[in-house]
Amino acid sequence: MIAFVSGGARSGKSRFAEQLARDWHRQSGGKRYYLATARVADDEMADRIARHRRERGEGWITLEEPRLLDEALDSVEPGSTLLLDCLTLWASQWLFGSGFSEAEGERMLAALLGKVRQNTIGLVVVSNDINEDLPPADPETWRYLAFLQGRHRQLATEADRVVEVVAGVPLDWKGMAER
Amino acid sequence: MQLFIGGACAGKQEAVKSRFPEASWCRLVPGRPLDIWREQAMLGTTLVVTGWLPWLEEALRSETDDDALYLMLVEELQALPEAERKDALDVVLILPEVGRGIVPMAAGDRRLRDLVGRLGQEAVAHAARVWYVRHGLVQGLGQPGNTGDSR
Repeated sequence: MIAFVSGGARSGKSRFAEQLARDWHRQSGGKRYYLATARVADDEMADRIARHRRERGEGWITLEEPRLLDEALDSVEPGSTLLLDCLTLWASQWLFGSGFSEAEGERMLAALLGKVRQNTIGLVVVSNDINEDLPPADPETWRYLAFLQGRHRQLATEADRVVEVVAGVPLDWKGMAER
Repeated sequence: MQLFIGGACAGKQEAVKSRFPEASWCRLVPGRPLDIWREQAMLGTTLVVTGWLPWLEEALRSETDDDALYLMLVEELQALPEAERKDALDVVLILPEVGRGIVPMAAGDRRLRDLVGRLGQEAVAHAARVWYVRHGLVQGLGQPGNTGDSR
């Protein structure tokens, strides 16, 4: 099972995604993993990561991988549940922190989703909605937005469930029958 | 008239193309009259009108009266359903959602954002069906029974 959860900043998307991952884990057994894409760049980011970790509570095996998400999956036991938080940071690190191309990003995400299906992993992906503002004026930000949106569409196509979170309230876009 | 609205790179064009593969497309040209769509409106066909944001951006540079520009938009939006009736035309509008970010620092950006929002509301008032596109998925908005298909 694959779920894609997105929303605005501090919309409650991570909390909802964590609960969904807990529910899936309770149903399917296996281990429960948290794949963090964030890198500690400054004190604010360190505080943010610590807060998320506190809010998640116990029982998570934390993996950290800012770029090669499909390789991180090699550490995840088949039949487990994996929460990936978040795709927004991964996208910036992929494009600007590594020099990978958009096409390579699409292929990497496809490989990740393929491995998830193959190993019967319950995957919940969290990302930010950033595309309903005035379009960015500079080409590099446009490039980032287009890349991230491409991955969002890729995920929405592949996912069994797609959820938008608004002020903590989940709005189902796909797969409501699985609720 | 149908309206497809959504953020940048949300998949609006793909959603429209998949539903109206035979439609002709009119992309508004910044600096040229708004009713350029009339040149491409053919009897009994579907016409997709897009390119509103760059057109408005340019229009705001030459027109300092936002309300006058808005009234021009209202007139054009009234003309579209009239053309549908008169010429057995089906019109599909594609509009961007640009109002969910931080209030822009630049006055010109604030004017643009406001005008696009007002245009969206006015377009909804004239549209028989409204579709919200998000990450390539589509949901119907507003009308009873118009629950969308999330494709």
